[in-house]
Amino acid sequence: MLILSLLWVVLGLIIGALAHAARLCPAIWQSHGWPVMLGLGVFSALIGGWLGTWLLSALFATATAVWVAVVGVALFPRLILWCNARWQRS
Amino acid sequence: MDRNQLSTRQENDVDASAKQGTKTRRNWTPGRIAAGIILIILLCAGGFLSLFPLGRAFTRSALLLPALLSDSAPPPLVVAGEPVRVTHLTLFPHTSRTAYLDIYEPATPPPPVPGGREVIIDVPGAGDNRTVPQLVNLSRSLAQEGIIDVNVGTPALFDYRVETQESEAVVEAFELMEHWPGVNPQHIGIITFSVGSLSAYEAAADPRIRDRIAFLAILGGYTDITSLLRDVGTRSQTINGKTERWEPIATTAYVLYRSVSYLFSPSDQKLLQEAFPLTASFPPPLPAAKIAQLSPVGAAYYHLLEGDQPAKINQNIAALTPAMKTLLTRLSPLSIISQVRPPIYLLHDRNDPAIPYAQALEMVAALSRLHHPYNFTTYTIFSHVEINLNSSLIKELSNGPELLGVLTNVVLPGS
Repeated sequence: MLILSLLWVVLGLIIGALAHAARLCPAIWQSHGWPVMLGLGVFSALIGGWLGTWLLSALFATATAVWVAVVGVALFPRLILWCNARWQRS
Repeated sequence: MDRNQLSTRQENDVDASAKQGTKTRRNWTPGRIAAGIILIILLCAGGFLSLFPLGRAFTRSALLLPALLSDSAPPPLVVAGEPVRVTHLTLFPHTSRTAYLDIYEPATPPPPVPGGREVIIDVPGAGDNRTVPQLVNLSRSLAQEGIIDVNVGTPALFDYRVETQESEAVVEAFELMEHWPGVNPQHIGIITFSVGSLSAYEAAADPRIRDRIAFLAILGGYTDITSLLRDVGTRSQTINGKTERWEPIATTAYVLYRSVSYLFSPSDQKLLQEAFPLTASFPPPLPAAKIAQLSPVGAAYYHLLEGDQPAKINQNIAALTPAMKTLLTRLSPLSIISQVRPPIYLLHDRNDPAIPYAQALEMVAALSRLHHPYNFTTYTIFSHVEINLNSSLIKELSNGPELLGVLTNVVLPGS
């Protein structure tokens, strides 16, 4: 499980970097964008991997980690912005 | 500056940044497009391979294929595979129905999706194959993938004999696995190799279980013993109307003799045993004096297996006793194929030295006549039922996609 988790961390970093290259990172984050995207990639991949292990078995966990990480890096920045805006308005 | 003013200024900053972000988004550089495309591909591939049953079956078969082409588990399966538990069971010990089951299963409970596990009941061919590295590796790899693999052995098959009652062991194994913890009883299929195919066909035709078997996969199986004897006797096979040379291995003659030996007189048995021992290659033919000692039916059977009278093949087959002809019919899957229910996956090596390729074509013709669902695949990388580890990379690559297709079909029920 440790090896798989490390693999998901690496995949998360790659997907985070790709997301930054694809400019999925909000412009408001400016220079802080890339470490946040890498972090979100790793976080999403680990969540996906562990969820995949629990629901589908470790055999399909890496594939789950990949798509959850992509969804994560696409949605989490917008979710964070939205939450931030709501918090500021309140 | 009061709180309201501060809030308004922050919102303006957010709006300005959002506008700047919009401008940036319009800047479609090649690097950005490429990264976006890669992310979309990863999303689709990851989603397909984990969320859809076909995708999960493809993942399984892609990981299983290297295990099948070698005699060791591939590293991804070692890392991500389930821990395996092996259980040895003997059903009905010390009786005529004795069966040996080697159950390779994941040691963990089944995951919530798809729930119950698939079971593959594996009937290896003649001989005791329970410790053959490729079979053990295949069974372990299946278990690592979350599929329970049950190797069924019987004393007759261990003794290189084909018998009709052997299917009882397969039926017992099927019914046992239907109630095994963690198993989905609707996802139990049968895979068989070589002469183990009779037991598998009979089980798939057995009214007790035939409507509940998910699939039947036959690798290197035979169809009709009489036509097999004809191929052995003429050292040739007819494919698409063309007759071509075919040389059987000595084991084929040994099994063909052992399966009907009890119908011969003791003196015939002694001479035929001497003529067709379990050796790597055919021994020298019996001397004329010994052939002369055989009964007419013994001599006919000797010439059929020895292949030294191809011109008299019809006379030699006609010389067999009615009891022997009846037995040969009963030992032929062709006689029961109309009662088989599950879909059939037929796999046969084009250059099979034990069971001629023409036998598979004969089954294909019968299945087509019956409009029975089947899938037939021809390979060139097997040596009968074992992967030829010395086959070239080009052959492996050319056979790989077809093998992947069959494996995907086989592991699909439990995915």
